[in-house]
Amino acid sequence: MIGTLPRRRFRIEPYVEFAKRAIMREATYRFDVFTSIASFAIRLYLLKTVWTALYAHNPAPQELSLPAILTYSTVALLMGLVMDIDQTRALHERLREGSIATDFMKPISVPLYFFAEGTGEVLFHAVLMLPSLVIALFLVHVDVPGPAALAAFALSFLIGYLVGFCINFILNCTAFWTLEISAGQMIVTWVSDLLGGELIPLVLFPPALQAVVETLPFAAMFSTPLLIYVGTIGPDEYLRAFASQVFWFVLLAGISTLMWRAGAKRVVVQGG
Amino acid sequence: MRVAAGVYRQYWRINILTTLEYRENFLMWFAFTIVYHGAAIAALWIVLERFPSLNGWNFRDMAFLYGLWMLAHALHNTLFSAVGDVPEHVREGEFDRILVRPLDSLFQIIATPGQVFPDELMLALAYFGVATWYSGVHIDAMFVIFVPLIVFGGALIELGIGLIVSTLSFWFVRVDALIWIVVQLEQEFTRYPLGIYSRGVRLLLTFVCPFAFMNYFPASYFLHKPDNALGFPPIAGLLTPVIGCAFVILAYVFWRFGLNRYQGVGH
Repeated sequence: MIGTLPRRRFRIEPYVEFAKRAIMREATYRFDVFTSIASFAIRLYLLKTVWTALYAHNPAPQELSLPAILTYSTVALLMGLVMDIDQTRALHERLREGSIATDFMKPISVPLYFFAEGTGEVLFHAVLMLPSLVIALFLVHVDVPGPAALAAFALSFLIGYLVGFCINFILNCTAFWTLEISAGQMIVTWVSDLLGGELIPLVLFPPALQAVVETLPFAAMFSTPLLIYVGTIGPDEYLRAFASQVFWFVLLAGISTLMWRAGAKRVVVQGG
Repeated sequence: MRVAAGVYRQYWRINILTTLEYRENFLMWFAFTIVYHGAAIAALWIVLERFPSLNGWNFRDMAFLYGLWMLAHALHNTLFSAVGDVPEHVREGEFDRILVRPLDSLFQIIATPGQVFPDELMLALAYFGVATWYSGVHIDAMFVIFVPLIVFGGALIELGIGLIVSTLSFWFVRVDALIWIVVQLEQEFTRYPLGIYSRGVRLLLTFVCPFAFMNYFPASYFLHKPDNALGFPPIAGLLTPVIGCAFVILAYVFWRFGLNRYQGVGH
């Protein structure tokens, strides 16, 4: 079905429009905004309390001081506001309802459509980071690194976002075969929160476990940008860190493409 | 009463038949339950591997603390989880149907068939057994008599909170934010000893949403830990059944009060 469409020149405008629409749609759910911010504040309080108590009763580990870990946790929670969004949830819903068939008829790239939609949603939630940051500053002291580290963090966060997008996309693509994926998706969310270093910095994991989790793609989502932010990954290691993130992005983007093609073919065979 | 018993038997029959019908779905959600609790326990283990003590509690103590909460929570989910759906029924206007039937409304809610199966409860029992052995808690007559009562009391505390939030949904149609906050207090704050929190939160978790009685006070009693949160005597840990009953009665009175004023959302 995709092949029968005449090839057109690629235009970015429709995708910008999709992203805008998604931002506007999200803005109508003001109540969820309040929930996200309240939940953010509670989580931050809990993390601050637990880490403070842990550092008070034990010798501090060499890798991270208490202020560093509080900064780490706060930035992780702020990142979570946008990273924890399942941007391609719509794909799974459309597959279940069968409305995916009409998407294939439109003169657009469907995966890019989902990417634009998801990015719009994420951009709206990125705005939430601001009030959340204000609340955070009341609760904890957040260190701000120098401009070089900040720029490296931003780049690393961006690649991490792309890695996260691919993981979500792959999960949602499995719905081509299974239709129901909520439980599987939640399993991956829980596992990736823990193994990606969102909750506990990977450098504090027991050494053997650390060696394993650092080779997993989840580390590219949270751990790498965060360790750049707090300075555990120094300037001389930036290139290596980016390289491993880009490796995961390329690999997962490749898998996404393959799964999308195989899945799309299946829809055509079944007739949607 | 006989009618209610018959309805309740049917309720379980339908639940089990539904579970058998959707086997793959059930297995997937069971896998999720295992990962959910597994990730929580693994996170505690990782942290306490690096920091051996949290306010005087080591990993073995925390494993028992989690086990006690998990058991009460699983019992609640098995018996009363449908209470959490009330705000949605109210919003959709489906709640009104319950009001015109000749059985107690709360009983009807609890006996609404879904895909309930005691899988989490079995998992919790197995985990609790292991955690008890691992933490070295001495199993004596007190343990055998009180643990079931405490677990049931803990489930009642969770039911009470669910009932209060559901009643609030009669007036405030959207209670999602409140539910979120309560869920976090119940599921995440109960993982750690109460003494680490600031005074306001300790009082909140003891007197307003008494989740500390689900696991912290009883675990302190069985582990012989002094309560450094509020300075309660150890025996406070055995009060959970009383607190659970009192709390659920209070919540039920509030629920009846709300029912008498319920006007629907205008569907």
